[in-house]
Amino acid sequence: MQLYRNLTIRQKQIAWAWAFLAVPVLFYGVIRFYPTGNAILISFQDWNLLGSRTWTGLDNYQKLAADPVFWKVFGNTFLYLLIGTPLSLVLSFVIAYHLDKLRFMHGFLRMLYFLPFMTSAVAMAWVWRWFYQPVPTGLFNNFLSQAGIPQIEFLNSTTNALPSVLAPAVWAGLGFQIIIFMAGLRAIPVSYYEAAKIDGVGWFTVLTQITLPLLRPTIVFIVVFSSIGFLRIFDHVFNMTTNNPGGPLNSTKPLVLMIYDTAFNAFDMGYAAAQTVVLFLILLVVSLVQLRLLRSD
Amino acid sequence: MANLALKKLVKAYGQTEVLHGIDLEVADGEFVVFVGPSGCGKSTTLRMIAGLEEVTSGTIEIGGRVVNNLEPKERDIAMVFQNYAIYPHMSVRKNIAFGLRTSKMSRPDKEARIDEVAAILGMTDLLARKPSQLSGGQRQRVAIGRAMVRDPAVFLFDEPLSNLDAQLRTQMRLEIKKLHQRVGNTIVFVTHDQVEAMTMADRIVIMKDGHIQQVGTPDQVYHRPANTFVAQFIGAPSMNMLDGQLVDGRIRLAAGAPLEMSVARPPSGASVVLGVRPDDLAPTDAAPLIEGRVSVREPLGAETLIYVETASGEIVAKADGRNPPAVGEVVRLGADPANMHLFDRDTGMVLT
Repeated sequence: MQLYRNLTIRQKQIAWAWAFLAVPVLFYGVIRFYPTGNAILISFQDWNLLGSRTWTGLDNYQKLAADPVFWKVFGNTFLYLLIGTPLSLVLSFVIAYHLDKLRFMHGFLRMLYFLPFMTSAVAMAWVWRWFYQPVPTGLFNNFLSQAGIPQIEFLNSTTNALPSVLAPAVWAGLGFQIIIFMAGLRAIPVSYYEAAKIDGVGWFTVLTQITLPLLRPTIVFIVVFSSIGFLRIFDHVFNMTTNNPGGPLNSTKPLVLMIYDTAFNAFDMGYAAAQTVVLFLILLVVSLVQLRLLRSD
Repeated sequence: MANLALKKLVKAYGQTEVLHGIDLEVADGEFVVFVGPSGCGKSTTLRMIAGLEEVTSGTIEIGGRVVNNLEPKERDIAMVFQNYAIYPHMSVRKNIAFGLRTSKMSRPDKEARIDEVAAILGMTDLLARKPSQLSGGQRQRVAIGRAMVRDPAVFLFDEPLSNLDAQLRTQMRLEIKKLHQRVGNTIVFVTHDQVEAMTMADRIVIMKDGHIQQVGTPDQVYHRPANTFVAQFIGAPSMNMLDGQLVDGRIRLAAGAPLEMSVARPPSGASVVLGVRPDDLAPTDAAPLIEGRVSVREPLGAETLIYVETASGEIVAKADGRNPPAVGEVVRLGADPANMHLFDRDTGMVLT
């Protein structure tokens, strides 16, 4: 105790901080960093979960580079990212921008938009799956047939399936992004807008010169956050294509689903680990590039 | 450049009326300061002139033109906000240029105008900077620059100095006054600080609870306050108010000899209030007004404020700074009757 008493105030604060941090640091070490390190290790090995591990060097990565399914899946993953992120960004901003100006039923509408975010992805995927069925079951096709428009194969076409799976994923994330955008909009001082009003500039100038630049930190957060979400998409795809996960013909299969397949259907742990490492690197690079691009002035 | 006229101006939020029929004429090139405590309606009035608040009834004229239903941009005004409202993501030059965005000037003309304004405000070498790299006073100057660049008929200032520290405030006060002398536009300036009002204004408008209490030059509102509110609001420390009775043209205070005073207007009753500024009240032996015991001294250097317990309550007087009376000492205080003010206690209106 004498030792503790002789510490400076700053040193005591550090001692206490570490005392409280010790448990989570240990926890993280065991459940996060150790498995991550292990996964990287396994990616250079051959392992079927039961037998012994054998070193294979870069074999798994070479196999990956030569695997046409991997490149298809790689492309799909980026499609989810490149369609999903901008679409959800624009949609959530437009909704938040207008919702912010609305007083009537504001709370109710905000709740409606937030509801999908709280809903289980599995339940939502199955409901949307039902929407997409052909007549007489599916909601959308029923509307189309009533309007005299030909049926659309939503989930059974290799071109339509990916956007159809993406739609509920975008919709589910919207509520959260709207809330974040509204908080960002509220943080902009009213006098900025009043000054602009006195200067007589139009709404478009206000939007592009004042609102959007001042929302930059919010936009950075949402872009990075939703990109990570779309790169890791799994549950929507898995639940909407259960009879042929990632189908038809791998047209909706994202990287995470391929990892799942490789690991728990093919029991090729080394190969799955290599895919995981690739996914990790993609996430890392995309996040860093976005932060760099959006942060700098 | 233009004059400004408010006629029977009323502002109500739903059932609550916050401004009860303001009448005011501001001459071309005049510097008018609205002053009053929080919630007196001074900022609301300014925002109505700017067009940021709707007029409930009455009219606002700028340059002889009723502007009630005109957008802010059509009113030929510019406004400086309390938090400056300069955009953090734009350079000083772009901030100032924002005021010219809708102007039909050619690009070189705009650039020349920005340089001219920057030169007037002494900011030429700051034009490339971002607001985060500026001090409070410099940001304030950018806000003024953005308003100036358009050369508006009327400048509106909404408590622009309240976010600055005391020293900077004094300095900016002087700069704004010099600027006015130089450019000569009409200025309406809102503040809650009576010192700012006194030092800057051509005329002061003192407001309380949505009513104008008095309009006058700094000299008039200080030396000829229209009522007890103005008398106590203007001047620091506040005017001493002594309750008394008016009997046969003489004023009786709680103690001491009755006082002869000419009354210009008949009071509503016998109850009156005698007002004397601390600056006019000093220890004296000749014809004292009141006496009491010194409870606290506040030395200010050249003079010392003394707080004196009297039969009429605690009053403040000014004594010589070199030789002030001691705490506990009994002093007699006197003032020149010409510097005394008499108010009706019921209505608060001046009687002398």
